[in-house]
Amino acid sequence: MAKLLFINPVVREEDVPRHVPYGIALLAAIAIDKGHLVQVYDANAWRLGEETLREVLKADAWQVIALGGITTAYGSIKETVRIARQECPDAVIMLGGGVLTSLPHEIMNWLPEVDVGCVGEGFITFPEMLAMVDAESRDWHRIAGTISRNAQGKPVLSPQRTLLEDLDTLPYPAWDLFPREEVYFKNSQMLYSPEGMLAQRRLDINVSYGCSMICRYCYHLGIAGDMRYETSESGEVSVSFDRPGAYTRTIRYHSPEYIVRMVRHMRDKYAIDYVLFLDENLMTMDQHSKRLWMKDICRLWHESGLAPIPSYDAAGIMNGWEGVHWSGTSHATLCTKEILKTMRAAGCSHLVYGYESFAPHVLKTVGKGSTPATNERSFFWTLEAGIRPVPNVIIGFPDEDFQSIRDNMAAFDRLGIQVRPHFATAYPGSEWFTLHRDSLEAQYGGNLESYILDLGDATKITGIICKKFNAVELIGLRELMCEGNYRLLDVFESAWKRVHQERPLV
Amino acid sequence: MTSVLKGNFQAAKSVEAKDKPEADDLDSRFEREAMKKLGGSIAYVAKKKIKWAEDENP
Ligand code: B12
Repeated sequence: MAKLLFINPVVREEDVPRHVPYGIALLAAIAIDKGHLVQVYDANAWRLGEETLREVLKADAWQVIALGGITTAYGSIKETVRIARQECPDAVIMLGGGVLTSLPHEIMNWLPEVDVGCVGEGFITFPEMLAMVDAESRDWHRIAGTISRNAQGKPVLSPQRTLLEDLDTLPYPAWDLFPREEVYFKNSQMLYSPEGMLAQRRLDINVSYGCSMICRYCYHLGIAGDMRYETSESGEVSVSFDRPGAYTRTIRYHSPEYIVRMVRHMRDKYAIDYVLFLDENLMTMDQHSKRLWMKDICRLWHESGLAPIPSYDAAGIMNGWEGVHWSGTSHATLCTKEILKTMRAAGCSHLVYGYESFAPHVLKTVGKGSTPATNERSFFWTLEAGIRPVPNVIIGFPDEDFQSIRDNMAAFDRLGIQVRPHFATAYPGSEWFTLHRDSLEAQYGGNLESYILDLGDATKITGIICKKFNAVELIGLRELMCEGNYRLLDVFESAWKRVHQERPLV
Repeated sequence: MTSVLKGNFQAAKSVEAKDKPEADDLDSRFEREAMKKLGGSIAYVAKKKIKWAEDENP
């Protein structure tokens, strides 16, 4: 029975904490089921700094300190493991999640405090790691899905872990171990739809893994069949993700019965009024199930009494509801008019669409299979169904040019949307990262770790992959795009052309 | 005071969430509220401004 401390590192510090970390909550539930002693310190929720972290680390004789997170949590993880090693010299420090999985060797080299990493899915690997602690053994290489150091201190991967087939065997996440009332429910609001704005008690769920698309900028945490182990000629094994000609996916989803039973449980136990589906792309699952999955979820939502019934104030304005509203992600080419209406009737309030661009020549290079017309069609279908579309756009694609910027501005006008585009960013694990790694490293003086530490929201510019525009130009162009300032765009284009006539781009 | 540790057993020592001192003056309240609106991609739809005719073959 291992005594285990989970630490959820700080992520997206510029915003309030909004999401119980689903992976850690699931792994905590699995560890409890296996009989371990588990405590969670949600540093992201509390944000109390180093002093409290040290107190937590001294609060018991931890045998295991476990952390995980996405790539942008790297800075917080680095700091946390440094302090953890000082305070708990004998504890086994375990790291998992997207941050480790995309660059396992590099991260193990940068973080000497970490004893063992979990590469990809943790559902089976993690309890096996805990069992090894119980057995007082440290033969991590015997457990598939880990990375640990050999006798020479070099990080080595054990064999690849296969993905769990039947997701419905998983316990519900251990929401009890996170500060719901103290922190998360206070930040329930999602300013994407009127219902999202009124949400008072939101929790998130992730009920599918995988996406059928091969978007060049995307990464799937090594838990979507997107990761392969490859052996080099010298016999070294490394992880590999999307690259031209090599795309793999495994689509998995919970049954509608499991999902709705879990939401009913969340409603009964925590009195939630809103659920955010974290799933990468709900429409992949719907298409994969021959259009049954979403329909069944919606049917069961009604049958379980979860479909929201609105309440109104004296002026007839909605001020709340009985039941559970929800939202998630959709996809321009995979949604249908019918399913959107069905989803709305079951309480769906907004859907995020990664439209990325409204320029045909740019969309062709993205790998999404969408066109400006399918983007617009899905946008209006969604609105007509009574759901708010959340149209995400990116600037700074490799082939971004003046035409694509104008195409986007014209689309914003046509659609009546206010968008602040993200900057195209190559996160590790994406095809872009694989292709542009050398250039990105060069932009950070040859230091890949500095690049990783700089990564954030993509609302700020970091490493760029755009052929025509540099970082400063992209910052300016985004402002013009947001303002719809065609006049200055024309002025800048002629100046830009003059400069590049004299000094053509390579 | 609230414990920052949550688990399935009682840890040897408890750790309380200490209030952050600057928490409640007007400026920090304002900055917190403003901050809540930032972060991530910011996109919304001004529903009233739009017209659309469906093209059957996109
Ligand atoms: C919730 C979420 C967030 C939350 C943070 C979540 C958190 N607390 O860590 C917020 C909203 C902050 C966020 C922000 C961003 N996100 Co995000 N996010 C997600 C989302 C929707 C769900 C994550 C999740 O819970 N997955 C399900 C659980 C089960 O998986 P998991 O946590 O990885 O855990 C499993 C394993 O990794 C492993 N594991 C994890 N931790 C540990 C720990 C140990 C000890 C062990 C043994 C194993 C282990 O075991 C678990 C079970 O298999 C995913 C998409 C998705 N559906 O996965 C994107 C995703 C992770 N985000 C992504 C991106 C790109 C971003 C943004 C950059 C987007 C943007 N431009 O704004 C920002 C970054 C913001 C910033 N400034 O840092 C990418 C990948 C990022 C990356 N390289 O790591 C994803 C995959 C979406 C995508 N396909 O593009 N995100």
